[in-house]
Amino acid sequence: MTWVLSTREEHPQGYRSREIGVVPERVTHEELMCFIDGELSPEEARRVEAEIVASTELQREVAVFRAMKADFQDLTFDPGDRHHSVWDSVNRRLTRPIGWLLLIVGVAIWTAYGGYVFATSPTNPWEKLATGAVAIGILLLLASVIWDRYRESLNDPYHDVYR
Amino acid sequence: MRPDLERELIRKCKAGDARFYEPLVRAYEPPGLRLAIGMMGNLEDARDALQEAFIKTYQSLPRFDLKRPFGPWFFQILRNQCRDMLRSRKARFNLETLDEQLELRPADAEQGPERRRERATARDLLWRALERIGEEHREILVLKELEGFRYAEIAAILGIPEGTVASRLFHARRALKEALDDMGVEYP
Repeated sequence: MTWVLSTREEHPQGYRSREIGVVPERVTHEELMCFIDGELSPEEARRVEAEIVASTELQREVAVFRAMKADFQDLTFDPGDRHHSVWDSVNRRLTRPIGWLLLIVGVAIWTAYGGYVFATSPTNPWEKLATGAVAIGILLLLASVIWDRYRESLNDPYHDVYR
Repeated sequence: MRPDLERELIRKCKAGDARFYEPLVRAYEPPGLRLAIGMMGNLEDARDALQEAFIKTYQSLPRFDLKRPFGPWFFQILRNQCRDMLRSRKARFNLETLDEQLELRPADAEQGPERRRERATARDLLWRALERIGEEHREILVLKELEGFRYAEIAAILGIPEGTVASRLFHARRALKEALDDMGVEYP
């Protein structure tokens, strides 16, 4: 197989990969990386460059690493139109809990107050019992349906699919 | 994004107004997605990781020190999220659908069909080599080569001394080279 990332025209000096890692002691691996990535001070860069000029091994090393670096950067890709921003999902996840919290607190306060008013009213006890049973039954059924839907939504593999 | 504007947005978010989080998400989404794709290997898992990272970042904002730069802090959270997802086996570096999900850069459209085919082959080879070299090597290569971060920024994101970055980059590049050798890739 031919390596197509870098052609001979792009790297006329050519290089072979097997010798990577053979760096003369006067230039460390770390210095070599810093030199290639432009992280050395001007003085340090000049010293390393002088060592490179004096060593064909180092020249080969630098050529290989630079070619790999160039190839890598040239191959950056873009998801294009297939990526929708995650902001809508993030915003939903950040704001919905506040809404739910306010709703639950409000319902709890109204329910407690309504129950207190109902319990202390001078209505016939049988009427109270029947009304209370109907109200509790409706609340239990509603809570059960909400809980089922919530559990289903957690396992729904398509919940993030855009229509 | 200008640092002063970024700090102002973070200050508003810390005060509890999530509306001001949108410009931050929009600004950091493209580089975040590149990092996540580089670590996860596919678009779906990358999106999930990115979304979770933005939510965790927002929830952690009250503890964020405004004197620190936001970018490295966010990328650290994103990197940890990717690692957690990979380790919890909810996701794995997966290249199966990568070709269908990603497009070559627009500049490639100006090149001839032969050159475009070569670039596509090269991309495939490089990403398959990345799959082989392991998570630690992959993440530092992605941070350096795809994101273009300086060593100081990479050190902040990975939580390692700046002097260690060069050493890890050397080993990562060597590992990548060996992976390409093993795949039968020959240099001219």
